[in-house]
Amino acid sequence: MSYRIAVDTGGTFTDVVVADEEGRLVFNKALTTLDRMFDGAREALRFIAADMGITFEHLMSNSSLFIYGTTRATNAIVEKKTAPTAFFTTEGHPDILRLKEGGKHEPFNFRMAYPEPYIPARLTFEIPGRIGSEGQEIRPLDESAVRSAVRAARDGQAEAIAVCLLWSIANSDHELRIREIILDEWPGVPVTLSHELNPTIREYRRASSAAIDASLKPLMQSHLGAIRTDLADAGFGGELVIVTSFGGALHVEEVFKRPIYTVGSGPSMAPVAADAYGSQEVDHGNFIVGDSGGTTFDVSLVEGRQIKKTRETWLGPQWTGDITGLSSVEVTSIGAGGGSIAWIDKGGLLRVGPHSSGSTPGPACYGRGGDKPTVTDAAAVLGYFNPDYFLGGRMTLDLESAQEAIRSQVAEPLGIELRPAAWAILAVANEAMVSAVREITINQGVDPRESIFVAGGGAGGLNAVMLAKELGCKQVLVPKTAGALSAAGAQFADIVAEVQATKYMTTALFDADASAKTLAKLDADLDKFAANLPPALSAQQSRDYSVEARYPNQVWDLPIPIAEGHLKTPDAVAILQETFHAAHERSFAVKEEGQDVEWDLWAARMTVPLSPPDLAAQREDQSGATLRAVNTRSAYFGATQDVNVPCYDGDSLGIGAIIEGPAIIEERTTTIVLPPGSRACVTPLRSLLIDLDEN
Amino acid sequence: MTITETPADEVRNDFDPVLLAVLANRLDGIVREMTNTLLRTGRSAILNTARDFSCSIVTADNELLSAAEGLPIHVIGSQLLTRSMERHHPVINEGDAFLHNDPYDGNTHHADHSILVPVFFDGEHLFTAVAKAHQADCGNSRPTTYAGYAKDIYDEGAINYPCVKIQSNYDDVQDIIRMSKRRIRVPEQWYGDYLASLGAARIGERRLKEVVAKYGVDTIKTFITEWFNYSERLMIEQIRQWPAATLTATTNHDPIPQLDQEIPLNVTVTIDPKEARVLVDLRDNIDCVPAGYNMSEATALASGMTGIFNQLTESIPYNEGSFRRVTVALRQNSIAGIPAHPSSASVATTNVADRVINMTQAAFAGLGEGYGIAEGAIGQGPGMGVISGHDNRRGNSEYINQLYLASSGGPASPTTDGWGFFGIPVTAGIMYRDSVEIDERKYPVLIDECRMLPDSEGAGKFRGAPAGRVTYGPTDTPMNVIYVADGSVYPPQGVRGGLPGHAQTVEKLGIDGSVESLQSAGNVILQPGERIVNITNGGGGYGDPKSRDPEKVRLDVEDGLVSLERAKFVYGLDIEINSSGRAALKSD
Repeated sequence: MSYRIAVDTGGTFTDVVVADEEGRLVFNKALTTLDRMFDGAREALRFIAADMGITFEHLMSNSSLFIYGTTRATNAIVEKKTAPTAFFTTEGHPDILRLKEGGKHEPFNFRMAYPEPYIPARLTFEIPGRIGSEGQEIRPLDESAVRSAVRAARDGQAEAIAVCLLWSIANSDHELRIREIILDEWPGVPVTLSHELNPTIREYRRASSAAIDASLKPLMQSHLGAIRTDLADAGFGGELVIVTSFGGALHVEEVFKRPIYTVGSGPSMAPVAADAYGSQEVDHGNFIVGDSGGTTFDVSLVEGRQIKKTRETWLGPQWTGDITGLSSVEVTSIGAGGGSIAWIDKGGLLRVGPHSSGSTPGPACYGRGGDKPTVTDAAAVLGYFNPDYFLGGRMTLDLESAQEAIRSQVAEPLGIELRPAAWAILAVANEAMVSAVREITINQGVDPRESIFVAGGGAGGLNAVMLAKELGCKQVLVPKTAGALSAAGAQFADIVAEVQATKYMTTALFDADASAKTLAKLDADLDKFAANLPPALSAQQSRDYSVEARYPNQVWDLPIPIAEGHLKTPDAVAILQETFHAAHERSFAVKEEGQDVEWDLWAARMTVPLSPPDLAAQREDQSGATLRAVNTRSAYFGATQDVNVPCYDGDSLGIGAIIEGPAIIEERTTTIVLPPGSRACVTPLRSLLIDLDEN
Repeated sequence: MTITETPADEVRNDFDPVLLAVLANRLDGIVREMTNTLLRTGRSAILNTARDFSCSIVTADNELLSAAEGLPIHVIGSQLLTRSMERHHPVINEGDAFLHNDPYDGNTHHADHSILVPVFFDGEHLFTAVAKAHQADCGNSRPTTYAGYAKDIYDEGAINYPCVKIQSNYDDVQDIIRMSKRRIRVPEQWYGDYLASLGAARIGERRLKEVVAKYGVDTIKTFITEWFNYSERLMIEQIRQWPAATLTATTNHDPIPQLDQEIPLNVTVTIDPKEARVLVDLRDNIDCVPAGYNMSEATALASGMTGIFNQLTESIPYNEGSFRRVTVALRQNSIAGIPAHPSSASVATTNVADRVINMTQAAFAGLGEGYGIAEGAIGQGPGMGVISGHDNRRGNSEYINQLYLASSGGPASPTTDGWGFFGIPVTAGIMYRDSVEIDERKYPVLIDECRMLPDSEGAGKFRGAPAGRVTYGPTDTPMNVIYVADGSVYPPQGVRGGLPGHAQTVEKLGIDGSVESLQSAGNVILQPGERIVNITNGGGGYGDPKSRDPEKVRLDVEDGLVSLERAKFVYGLDIEINSSGRAALKSD
């Protein structure tokens, strides 16, 4: 018997999903234990073992894989609890992290404070020596200056060092020599070199990657070390892999070396889950994934079964936050969750967010002293929640407080009735979410009308159908595991390693030798990752290759796959060029016919499937059970009349059951609202597939 | 010249408030999508890295509707462009696009090429999508887009496009393309940038049609009226919070070589909270000068308006609705007004415009504590200069582009220190910073230094942001650097006891180590091995430096922005630095 364990530790809850050999999934959750992460997971695992009729010890010693996802790194950055880190940079350019790439929202706002750099000036050290754009050494490295800088960094109580020199991507000699000197002066101090971590042009992005990575090393290395120890103590002898921000997992040793890979890894598993379920449930490859929690709404995208990636992930606001600079699953996050507060501005316009009531005091209906109207309150007033069965009966809702908050702060100022006011709150929140979805789809040439909306998260079922309708999506899918979408996704994660190389190339003067050499180097780098894998796994790997291409003189790139993995023939180069023209026209409405295409960045990705649970085997036959509503409630859907809607218990619905909207389906971790005109069907995997009214 | 005056509509229509918010966000989203398109597809660094362009949507009635994230100097006069289109092209068709850069007829300056795409629905012209982008070259007689030297339009030399048709039925008008390619340096770069602007405007066209198809023409028209009224209501609320006053302010642009003297500037601002109106009067200024520094109508309007909008304590949409409450009075043939042909307006978007914004926003400090903003960094020194020459790495090919490297100091406000990577008042932190590596890859330049300069802030209770220092030169071929600085003789002033920011300086370093001080507007040839050094302005401070929060001074010392001496003599605080680099207030 062999089990697989997936754990997703968030700030509040630790979600655990266990798969048995047949691919059956069992899930549970426990409170996150910050001082010793495994304690929370152990508690949930004990419940799961009991559910499965085995002991915790048996489960651990018979598990072959432990997939661990954590928000530890992200939270450490947000809470500014990373290690004090020194920044070594080229002389003359000490303000790379302070000046960033410029940019600001709101031109007339002179009341915004200028952001702090990720590493302060007192721990920034300028190193004499200069490499030029063609890789030539313009001035030699001043080694004695490096030695003094290391000593000063140690005196300044730094615990790690990030090194980013100009043009280290063209010639890495100086960065490499600096590391030798650092380790000679201060053996054992964690060091990150920018060209090794993120060999991309644009010094700020490389420097920011290196700074974030180095600052996480002391914390994450001890954290992952503790997990490894606790697992061994619990009798686990399988493989430990860590969820990363690019939607896969990596062996713990790799993450040890580059902990930045875990930054933002939490939301990266939602599209993995969406793809796993979606590809089983519908004959379609495009999914818009909306994961809706208490304070944020995270959108990601699966296009043609490929998860959408980006190189522009900011921690904090765009431009004024800190960029990770690495390729990661593209997640657009907006402050529009269940806790977002509704208010009327001075011009008389209804606004929702960005302020949130958080978990304390929380929405007014939580009855914990909150008096601001929130999205959750609006849903309660609209009759979508069962006040006595909130969060699976763990909480009772204070409907009167919700009504009072909306009446006094929204309905009366707008001069409208209570339920229309609540409906308006939901509509405005929906619009912010629709904009977020459009940003990640339409702005990049993806048409939501060609996509299926996949809803996840505790608040995801409330407005999924309304969002999908506004976006023009074909259908909505609410997976059975919607409430623990990320942990479920981790069960389907592959090992994914991505490497990059920089070499300027153009279709006009194509250099086949240099191209072959660059691709060979990428393969050699991937071989190093593969060497850490058990041979059985390594044998199953697949690799794909791409370049980040542009027209001459452009500086922003479009990722273009290298068909067949090589660029050996004129045909292959011509295909790449044509693919680029088409991609450019699709994204930007114009193309420059006949123009050359150029690129510097080459990337290769290795994917190793970890024999995921067999979802297809979990299909159940139609049960033919009759539909029985547990009760009915008066609810409001924006028409002039309240309607009486039937409410169903999600667990009791039979396979193949069809529920016509308006209706409400109560699951243990989420509530799914079916407005009039929509129709849900219970799929063989017990998910809900919802059709929308054509009108 | 005044902005169209429409009586305030205080009566609220019963347009669905939810739909109002929905559609406003949708239009902003369209402008952002246009912006993203232009950024990602532009060819010159000034577009694809620094983002010196703006997109906007104007109604068929020539009212600015949405300009999310656009540079105010670019977009506030967008309606002047579409009025010009209407005047010159009584018949317009779907598929047309117009190229407009005429500063005598509504554009900002010759270097800003505006692409106008009229958007039709069921044959009715409903909107015009506008993409305005600063070109790396516009065919001037010398290789710069800022011809301060130009005594008139003939000396300036740019191609003037008085709103000419550049696309018909979605195809390029080849006559215009050929003409441009003959007269603009690095024609391939220009054509690529034209495509980027066109693509942005066409994306706007597509999306606007989708919105109209979804909601219907009538709803959209009602929305436009209501959105303007909403924006106007916010502006009324704001102006009613200000005291009644008439404020006057003066400033001087540094002496310019063509006049051999400074340019004096005046503004009078009249605030009428009862009527909820503000008048910015720029008529009391000198006539146009025989140099490229004259403003255009679009930039004079935008600068006056920006001076007022910079006072807002809450964000108000900038569109025709909020503009109704502010009148900018301009005079024909004035340097800060409407230029008389053939006076040159080549530098209309920056130098005098920056001075007008600075003096207008600082004038408000006369209302008392908590009002007004200090002056921000001004002038485009070599750190924002236009470089040109030949690149040996690419077969000695020609290059030209404006750099946007130098950090400079934003002004202090009543609540906040100045913004760090400010640029100049017309860009106000919105533009992006060049990447040193991208600049060095694209052009044969070596950038030795790019940093914030300690002790350069305009001190105050809230301080201006520090100046920057940039040092660069050519790698192996001679380089021409042309720039139009300001702020050396008259650096940005503080208000209410705040001190001025650091003065701008320009120096040339010889191969032998010699240092030559250069004038603030220049045309310099650098040989390989030579360097140009530019110190920009610090921003002016707000309030007495002695009243600054000691913790903020301590942090500035620790961050290397303020020296121990300056902390003592300017801020009156004894601070020490320990061996780990931490700063602490001395206990006595």
